[in-house]
Amino acid sequence: MTKQDADKIILQARGLSKRYGGVVALEDVDLELRQGEVLAVVGDNGAGKSTLIKALTGAIAKTAGRVEIDGQEVHIDSPTQAKAVGIETVYQDLALVDELSITKNMFLGREIKRKDVFGRLFGTLDFAKMDTEIRALFQKLDIRIADIYREAEAFSGGQRQAVALAKTVMFGKRIAILDEPTAALGVRESKMAMDLVNSLKDHGLSVIMITHNMQHVMNYCDRVMVLRLGRLAAVRDVKDVDGDTLVGLITGTVEDKAA
Amino acid sequence: MTDMTQSSSTQISTPSATSSSFDILRHQFLQIWQVLAALVLIYLTFFVLSEPFRSLDTLLSIFGQASILAILACGTTVVLISGGLDLSVGSIFAVVGVIVGIALAEYQLPVIVAVVIGLAAGAFMGALNGTIQVFTKVPAFIVTLGGLTAYKGIAEILASGRDLSRFPESFQMLGSGYLVPMTIMFAVALVTGLFLTKTQLGNHAFAVGGNEEVARLSGVNVRKSRIYYYMIGGLLAATAAILEVSKLNFAMPARGQSYELFAIAAVVIGGTSLFGGRGGVGKTLIGMLIMQTIIVGLSYLGVGTSVQRIAIGIIIILAVYWDVWRRPTR
Repeated sequence: MTKQDADKIILQARGLSKRYGGVVALEDVDLELRQGEVLAVVGDNGAGKSTLIKALTGAIAKTAGRVEIDGQEVHIDSPTQAKAVGIETVYQDLALVDELSITKNMFLGREIKRKDVFGRLFGTLDFAKMDTEIRALFQKLDIRIADIYREAEAFSGGQRQAVALAKTVMFGKRIAILDEPTAALGVRESKMAMDLVNSLKDHGLSVIMITHNMQHVMNYCDRVMVLRLGRLAAVRDVKDVDGDTLVGLITGTVEDKAA
Repeated sequence: MTDMTQSSSTQISTPSATSSSFDILRHQFLQIWQVLAALVLIYLTFFVLSEPFRSLDTLLSIFGQASILAILACGTTVVLISGGLDLSVGSIFAVVGVIVGIALAEYQLPVIVAVVIGLAAGAFMGALNGTIQVFTKVPAFIVTLGGLTAYKGIAEILASGRDLSRFPESFQMLGSGYLVPMTIMFAVALVTGLFLTKTQLGNHAFAVGGNEEVARLSGVNVRKSRIYYYMIGGLLAATAAILEVSKLNFAMPARGQSYELFAIAAVVIGGTSLFGGRGGVGKTLIGMLIMQTIIVGLSYLGVGTSVQRIAIGIIIILAVYWDVWRRPTR
């Protein structure tokens, strides 16, 4: 990847706002995502991180703002539209249906139908093909889940997160948005999940990731944007910032010089 | 990374395409064997206790009595799996019976036309329930409770002052004896089962019932799907109604009363979750057979209908308790 490619802006959002009646959840936030980077979104509870992601992916209707992908304005009013423009999202606690098998979860909403007459008439599904694709992908990503017919609830938090991340690799054409991929995971499982996040880059995805873990920001992310009280407090290259400064920006004890 | 995943995963990957269908079959059997064992046990108990119960005729009559309600209960299974509830199917049953009766007795329409009109009316009423529910966001319990009384009223208005009996012989064939209703029951169960397990819309019922928000975020059109599930519930209630009108050779608006409760009971006894996301029609068939075996068996032992109702009531509560108990806490 050349330097020029790396600096190419793939997604740009301007003036994103979300109000619930009189309550401001998000106020005039700008966001830039560059090709092949991992952008961290940090902030205290209630800073607007989840609102930002939901507004960006059409899970909630934004009050104001425009979004461009490759310089073209796109209208994302529903999760389906977000997927259509190449954005895959892993929502915290809303990634998998407990009652469905791994195969059915991976392909939920985008099942492969049979090519024969039954598929066309009744929408019958080609489970053999879906199974094969999942096994190939799991092998490529080094995800060790053999029993893909079992319900998702039978698996550990780390395995579930691995499945959710694999889903972004399978379907994400350009951008993966992750809402706290390591929340509720143990130390070892967090490392596994973050290694997977890292490998998303190798699969051509640019990543936006909400996190509370400053170490993950430092070790895995290229840039970091800080939200405070629904507003953008700072955007920094990770190499130009240390953990203490970052915490200061989050809590408001350090003001952003660049702003 | 390799050591790490190896030590923290429960299974080591052994990809093999040949074991897949066997795995699925084994999985389904494991889910169903408990209710199947319960059915066999209950049957054997009555078999030991009552001599007349031991005849083939008894066994056939259990299937025969189960068949009409089982067809209705297949629809209820779909609706419950999707996290819905339709209390009005007993009244839809009544309306369809009356409509088919009018079509045959008063307008002397060909049997096939009357049947199609009846099925269409049932599907329409079911879809109406679903549409009202997804767009008003009034809970399914309330919408379909309203449907229960409203459709019942419609059935009474339609039937008033009419003699709906003495249908053509070709129509009476449908519900008479055990063989035809049983065959239709198995056919309906098979088609509904294939729908739930093989088609996209059927698979989405489990997703919508399991976690509606995840399904929506995954791009499933939750509203549209729900309307279809209620429509299937109405369609199968209509199928059951047509068979019963044929069997009785008359139609009246009082039929179908509390059938929705019998259907829900059979579904739950079979092991489909009242909370959505899990279940299947095979289980429902077994659940319905368990209920009918108990009813028939108790009558052979000289136990009256009132005590039978108490027994069924207790079993329903136990079945739901079992469902709650085994469900992991969220």
